[in-house]
Amino acid sequence: MSEMIGITRRKDVVVVEDLQMVYRVGKMEVPALRGVDFSVKEGEFVAVIGPSGCGKSTLLHLIGGLLKPTSGRILIEGVSISSVSDVARTEIRRQRMGFVFQSYNLLNTLTAKENIALAKRIQGNGYYEDGSAQKILRMLGLENKMEHKPWELSGGEQQRVAIARAVINRPAILLADEPTGSLDSENSRMVLNMLRELNSDYGQTIIIITHDPEAAATADRLIEMRDGKILNRVQNMFYAMGEKRS
Amino acid sequence: MFKLILSNLRQRPTRTCVSVIAVALGVALLLVSMGLSYGQLVDTVRRAQGIGGDFILQSSEASVIFALNSGTIPVRVQKVIEEVEGVEAVTPILAKFLGDQFHIVFGIDPESFGRVNSTLSFVEGGRFSEPREVIIDTIYANSKKMKAKDPLQILGHEFTVAGVFREGIGARVLLPLTTLQELNGTPDKATMFFIRAKEEVALEQVYESLQERFENYKITKTAELQEIMMDSTPVFKEFVTAMVCISVTISFLIILLAMYSTITERTREIGILKSLGASKSYIVRLILNESLLICAAGVGLGFLATFVVIELLVAAFPTLPVAISLFWRVTAAAMAVIGGTLGALYPALKAAGMDPVKALGYE
Ligand SMILES: Nc1ncnc2c1ncn2[C@@H]1O[C@H](COP(=O)(O)OP(=O)(O)OP(=O)(O)O)[C@@H](O)[C@H]1O
Ligand SMILES: [Mg+2]
Repeated sequence: MSEMIGITRRKDVVVVEDLQMVYRVGKMEVPALRGVDFSVKEGEFVAVIGPSGCGKSTLLHLIGGLLKPTSGRILIEGVSISSVSDVARTEIRRQRMGFVFQSYNLLNTLTAKENIALAKRIQGNGYYEDGSAQKILRMLGLENKMEHKPWELSGGEQQRVAIARAVINRPAILLADEPTGSLDSENSRMVLNMLRELNSDYGQTIIIITHDPEAAATADRLIEMRDGKILNRVQNMFYAMGEKRS
Repeated sequence: MFKLILSNLRQRPTRTCVSVIAVALGVALLLVSMGLSYGQLVDTVRRAQGIGGDFILQSSEASVIFALNSGTIPVRVQKVIEEVEGVEAVTPILAKFLGDQFHIVFGIDPESFGRVNSTLSFVEGGRFSEPREVIIDTIYANSKKMKAKDPLQILGHEFTVAGVFREGIGARVLLPLTTLQELNGTPDKATMFFIRAKEEVALEQVYESLQERFENYKITKTAELQEIMMDSTPVFKEFVTAMVCISVTISFLIILLAMYSTITERTREIGILKSLGASKSYIVRLILNESLLICAAGVGLGFLATFVVIELLVAAFPTLPVAISLFWRVTAAAMAVIGGTLGALYPALKAAGMDPVKALGYE
């Protein structure tokens, strides 16, 4: 997985072409995305940054198939999800997407283990054979927390369970919307390290939205947005964060 | 999925319990009311059939609910019936409903009764031989703690119990026809005739002969008594339909309410499931299965409650006949499940159609 291949020769996991998204609120139209183009290659770790309201979450939801764009194209592993039926989009989401949210979004009535098991059962395809599932749980430092309910876990632990749930089925893309937004710096660092490890050790493709400069610095590449558009593409190592946290 | 449902049900114990109890109430209501009304009916039919005739002849305007009729046919009609081809034996019966004791007594003519009936047997004492003697059945004897030789008041007159017979024949209390005619003020009249056909003749043939000969009378085949009684009991069918509807409606409404409030509370959970890739059909199945589980528990509890209520009723009123057939058990369970599923359908579809992003409580 982690053999060195030139980045240009890797295949595209996500391709976004002239993506537009207009929300309708009553009679008013709220343009959230005004023509976004970019692509993410297999095994990339991309961070999306930008001021509040610039359309980051909208973009992530569109890529994840939770929303339908007003116009434009989204290809996931070569398959367009913008023009297919709801059923087909659900199917792609089920098999190829993993979500992590700022608010963890674990099911409160289930234990950590059951939360992960539920994802496995709903998706029920090609998850890490037991050995590596165990390895991931160990890496996430969750082995002895598996019987806990979400409220018995710290924010950092809950987020790690959510990450485990998101990657347990080997999704093509892990989509994370401000995964460290509710965490203190220590827990943030831990969560970021784990994402980093998933990326480097398992080749997990990751798109992360963040306001956190440290999180942005973890990524291979930054996509900076403003007002529903992408500003430029900067190679991460030379990036200096221009934004303030909002 | 099952774990998720169970954990959700456990999460809201009060609502789960209330829903289960409400469904149980619907089930028990249906079963108890059907048990009692059919019990009465089935018991009356069984005992009428226990007399042993193949046909019952009544005056044309009479009801098969014997309690509603009085003496209207002259006893001498018996001779005319006996002459009909294929008739083996005929016995007149005068039915009298005792309003104060709320049961029916039959006046019988022992001699001809014995020719129609072959199953009367005594556990104590024997047939009456005096005008002021009666015989009572075992259930009546048990409930009144009576035995042979005990006195018994009927229509303001003192009788003596001559014997106790095994229950299942005619009425719970049988007395001499002539005595009852006298007390009823209808000398030489009977309510109906029980007719026994000759064994070697086809019943249908005798039935036709009887109908031909007694055009202005009502002739009923005892084998068909139950259906005929159901048809002629005032509002029986309407009552049954109403009880079934009430039972369905209870589970429909309670499940609708429970599931609707569940999905409103669990909007976020539904959003999470969708983000995990749960399909619409998965969400629908989740809600429907949850309601099915509540209904199943409700049916179980309803059966239990029915059992307890019936036991208590029978303990309090030993002569009360109760009949809960398998048909009604299945119907009660089916009504709960159908009502519950219909009630859960709208919330389930609504949940399935939720916008996942909104459901996740974004913004
Ligand atoms: N469901 C919606 N209905 C109407 N307008 C919406 C909806 N969701 C988002 N918007 C609008 O679209 C624009 C982009 O929103 P989005 O949530 O994508 O921004 P964001 O970059 O994620 O912001 P933040 O950093 O605060 O999370 C905003 O102007 C927002 O008000
Ligand atoms: Mg956002």
